[in-house]
Amino acid sequence: MTLLEFARGPALQVAMIIFVLGATWRFFGALLLPWRLAPAEPRKGALSPIAAAFKGVVVKMWPHKPFQKAGMFTFVNGYILHFGLAIVVFLFAPHILFIKGLTGLSWPALPNNLVYTVGVVTMASLVAGLVHRLRSPVLRLISRFDDYLSWLLTLLPVLTGLLAAAHLGARYETLLAVHILSICTFLIWFPFGKLMHAFMFVFSRAMTGVRMGQRGAEL
Amino acid sequence: MPQAPKLAPTLGELLQERGVSRRAFLKYASYLSAVMALPAGSASALAEGLANARRQSVIWLSFQECTGCTESLTRSFSPTLESLIFDLISLDYHHTLQAASGEAAEKAREAAMAENKGKYVVVVDGAVPTKDGGLYSTIAGVSNLDMLKATAKDAMAVIAVGTCAAFGGIPKARPNPTGAAAIDEIITDKPIINIPGCPPIPEAMAGVVSYLVSFVKLPELDHLRRPKAFFGETIHDRCYRRPFYERGLFAEGFDDAGARQGWCLYKVGCKGPVTYNACATLKWNGGVSFPIQSGHGCLGCSEPDFWDQGGFYRPLSTNLRDMGPALAGAALAGAALGAGAAWASRRHQESYQREQNPNEGDKK
Amino acid sequence: MTTQALHPSVSPQEPPRLTGMSEAVLAEVAARLAEVVAGASVPPIDLTAMPLTSEDRADLEQRLGRGEVFATVESAGRSQIWETQFSGVWFVRHFGENDRIASECIEFGAAPEILFSHRADMSAAARRLAAALQSADAREKTDH
Repeated sequence: MTLLEFARGPALQVAMIIFVLGATWRFFGALLLPWRLAPAEPRKGALSPIAAAFKGVVVKMWPHKPFQKAGMFTFVNGYILHFGLAIVVFLFAPHILFIKGLTGLSWPALPNNLVYTVGVVTMASLVAGLVHRLRSPVLRLISRFDDYLSWLLTLLPVLTGLLAAAHLGARYETLLAVHILSICTFLIWFPFGKLMHAFMFVFSRAMTGVRMGQRGAEL
Repeated sequence: MPQAPKLAPTLGELLQERGVSRRAFLKYASYLSAVMALPAGSASALAEGLANARRQSVIWLSFQECTGCTESLTRSFSPTLESLIFDLISLDYHHTLQAASGEAAEKAREAAMAENKGKYVVVVDGAVPTKDGGLYSTIAGVSNLDMLKATAKDAMAVIAVGTCAAFGGIPKARPNPTGAAAIDEIITDKPIINIPGCPPIPEAMAGVVSYLVSFVKLPELDHLRRPKAFFGETIHDRCYRRPFYERGLFAEGFDDAGARQGWCLYKVGCKGPVTYNACATLKWNGGVSFPIQSGHGCLGCSEPDFWDQGGFYRPLSTNLRDMGPALAGAALAGAALGAGAAWASRRHQESYQREQNPNEGDKK
Repeated sequence: MTTQALHPSVSPQEPPRLTGMSEAVLAEVAARLAEVVAGASVPPIDLTAMPLTSEDRADLEQRLGRGEVFATVESAGRSQIWETQFSGVWFVRHFGENDRIASECIEFGAAPEILFSHRADMSAAARRLAAALQSADAREKTDH
């Protein structure tokens, strides 16, 4: 069995099973917990829980005015990173074929050269994010192993994908195999670390909104 | 003055008798060095090397094969430039091409082996059955396995021509009923050159033999023992449809608008990106075309186990069609685990609260 | 939206025509010719395996032009050799079966190698000629 066959076959299969199992486990494990609110009565004029939840999700998409100066880099860089990842993952022709093979769903792709460019921007944004994290004493203090590992496991698929596209460093099959293996490690780690925010962020923001709303705080 | 031992004539002398001048050698050499991408200016050296070499004794063994490789080498040449290869070698045994048959043919093989001990080249096409003592293919009562071992013993080098000889090919495809094996799985103590392909490109066969005759050394090989001159780049790298791939323009079927416009065949199963061969540059039938130019994806025929790679029309990137049930099972198991965890957590919280406020339940 | 609609202007079959490769080859020709003038002997430029489109090839051939010498060599098929309009720059084209171009290159110097008679061919020719004269002599003697 070649490295590529291993990566495409058993490695990817095991990684996807772990990913689905772990993600549903954590997802249901968290959502089936009691949706406990503070025992106090809601403030007068407080938003209804549903409105507060909705507002919590939407309003948090842009920093509050007082934080705009300090938080702008995180927001802008975060958007670049996440949109970049979405474009690279979901609008690259070979990726769409992969998803089609798995689910039967398919949609038009972007030209490869455009996707490569976005890939480079995404990687630059990841690096910028790390530099920002390391240069800020506060961020450095609250960063844990999870943060750095999640960063690395996100970077590797982008990096190896770009190398495979450019045929840089090794033969194409080797690069492709390494690319797939990097995705396998990403998938395996995903449910158990902070990468899980991709599924959870809506709920955590909504819950924050509800709690704040109940206390009558401005969202 | 003692008489010098009479040497066999050089190729230059031999062909001169037939009115073939050194210009023909030079022309053949410049053609080959172009095809093999030898360093600029090596054509003259190659020409001199060929002219001063002796005719190379070649014993060609055909085992589990379809004769397609021999067809490829012989049928695509008309008597011009490219046919010179047959003047460079003395094909001492080839049971499809030789006039002799039966006992006489096997005698010719043995005679060539004795006469050119340590100097002849063995060319093999076809895989070798190894199961049950190799009885699934025999020639003149001798199993292929025994004949290969005996013939290769005193050879200078072995050239495995075609994917069957190089990697086992179609005989080795699942379930491989005859235990077919590649040549380099059986012969381990001789220099081996693999020229895979189903069939291989004739220029690759001719080029390697000429290189061997002229420079008396192996050309540079890759990790699968394939000459880099012909197998150094993928079909995809040199494909004229590559720009369509880069622009994301794909044929979705063999009769859609994309296919008619000559767009990339990646989505209909082309294996070009992982196939190392020279089809895209040398092409076939004297440079007429190659599969992709004729509208069909590359099958990957010069790669190991190309027959068992999951389907010629399945795109390279998809290999997960049977994952559905496993993933559904994983999702169900994950949901159950999550529900269980949440339930355990609720119970824990309740019991904790009861401990903290033993009277709370009474108040309600 | 289909992918086709995104790229309405793409032409069928082979993509772009003049790629700029002929320009690059011409620059290399100029550099090598300068070296030859300075007294060096330089290797030929092989065009066979270069990724030139047919338009690139035509452009290159047209811009090098034709000079004073044109030769045909009949040896293992046909070859055409001509001096370009730039002295010392030679175009050598070998044909294979069906008049297909088997290989072609640009050579530099007083004349390309294939036009020279090889020493081995000359000595064989000397032998052959001497033998022919001898047998003619012998015939003459028997006639008288």
